Amino acid sequence: MNKLSYVVKNTFINMRRNPLLVIATMLAVLVSSFLVFTTLSGRAVVENNTSRWQNGVHVVIFLDDRVTTTAHKQLQDSLESYPEVRMVDYFSKSEATEEFKFLFKDQPELVQEVDFEILPSSLRVNLNDPSDYQLIIERMEGNPAVKEIRASGEAIDRLLSLTNTLVISASVFAVLIAFAAFILIINTLRLTAYAKRREIKIMKTLGASSTYIRLPFIFEAIFESLVGTCIAIGFGWGVIQYSKGSVISESIFDITISDTYLINLTLGLILCSVLFGLFASFIGIRKALNE
Amino acid sequence: MIKLENVSLVFQGGSVALSNVSTSISEGEFVYLIGPSGSGKSSFLKLLYKEYFATKGSIEVVDMDITSLPKWKIPVLRRKLGIVTQEPQLLEDRTTFENISFALEILGYDSKEIEQKTSTLIDLVELHESVYKFPYQLSGGEQTRVSIARALASNPLLLLCDEPTGNLDPDLSIQITTLLEKINRAGTTVIMATHDSSIVNRRKKRVLQLKDGKLMSDAAEGRYI
Repeated sequence: MNKLSYVVKNTFINMRRNPLLVIATMLAVLVSSFLVFTTLSGRAVVENNTSRWQNGVHVVIFLDDRVTTTAHKQLQDSLESYPEVRMVDYFSKSEATEEFKFLFKDQPELVQEVDFEILPSSLRVNLNDPSDYQLIIERMEGNPAVKEIRASGEAIDRLLSLTNTLVISASVFAVLIAFAAFILIINTLRLTAYAKRREIKIMKTLGASSTYIRLPFIFEAIFESLVGTCIAIGFGWGVIQYSKGSVISESIFDITISDTYLINLTLGLILCSVLFGLFASFIGIRKALNE
Repeated sequence: MIKLENVSLVFQGGSVALSNVSTSISEGEFVYLIGPSGSGKSSFLKLLYKEYFATKGSIEVVDMDITSLPKWKIPVLRRKLGIVTQEPQLLEDRTTFENISFALEILGYDSKEIEQKTSTLIDLVELHESVYKFPYQLSGGEQTRVSIARALASNPLLLLCDEPTGNLDPDLSIQITTLLEKINRAGTTVIMATHDSSIVNRRKKRVLQLKDGKLMSDAAEGRYI
């Protein structure tokens, strides 16, 4: 118990020696952890939304009304025979009208002015693998019953590509800042170890184990890393809560991340910050103890 | 208590610190280790507390075969020893009391024991008037006494003193030697390295004489010639 109190007391004495370096270290850890938290949360939001979209209609084939309904039926039958296709729904002109009225119910002027005769009937195709949309487009091109083809996959591909670029950029930044934090922790510990070199020498002479000598340094590194990470996680949760009530969440994105995901992410980051501090302290005082 | 058999210590680069040294020291003895600078006195002591590792031979200290003692066991050995160096190595920002209690804190004593034991050690080294003084306010002799008190914190079986009077004038050297003899009479085995002939010749104790890393003589009531 007395040994523990020595370790705890000395952890804070060590930190008091270099307060500015300690603050700089915590800030670097904070920025790095915040980037990791928001990047991973953002990616989860995009994945949730794309998966939601991907579960819906993947290809819409607008039909030419000048062609007979028999031709439409033949087209539907041939589509259903493709192994890539899970389901095909015929969407008649009247159904298209109802859908239009529903989608634009907040704009009655627009609904009144539209000539619903121009709305085509369509086949809405759901694929087993959404990335096969290009295959369907190629097969349908040139078919006289087809007026136009739209695939949601193109938009999703563009969004995922943009998201991946953002995730990679943010990850590179996070790694660079984490590296800076790592160097700062090592530097802080080395300065403290240098200032305490006589004390360390006496401790070794008295028979203190190297683990016991290391403990205040290990606690210091873990404390700095943990404080920075916890504040970053707090900010991260705040950003998510704020975004849920924002304009973006009411329009395109559903900014919902499962609690399980957020708790796992939080615990993972905390564990990483402990390991980060542990590793940095190991490197930081290795030389000081071997002297 | 201590047994060395054909111990040699050769540093990297080939310089020989000790060559084929064999001796033994019994419990309760007071032994002077003498010889000119560079004769191997400090190396001899450092081998005993595993600061250095013997190149050849076997060493036994306080009933532990330390010849191939793993690094993680060195603290176990050192907790049985008291080590006093020529430079007292005190913590400048702590008082006499705190410098001594620091050792007890490291050894895991609780606060009440620390207070009691520190006071006992201060009594033993007769530093009552300097309890709350910082190292820079102490004389060389007082600093050495603090260093001795700190070394005694673990109730060591063996006290290793590496030229503790090296920086002191003759009167203070006699005081420190008298103190070490008092500690020895209480049951602690003491080995004191010195090149102060006046102390050795006056005390009539066992003397091990080293020269160029070799044990030249071992006399029960030796003299420094």
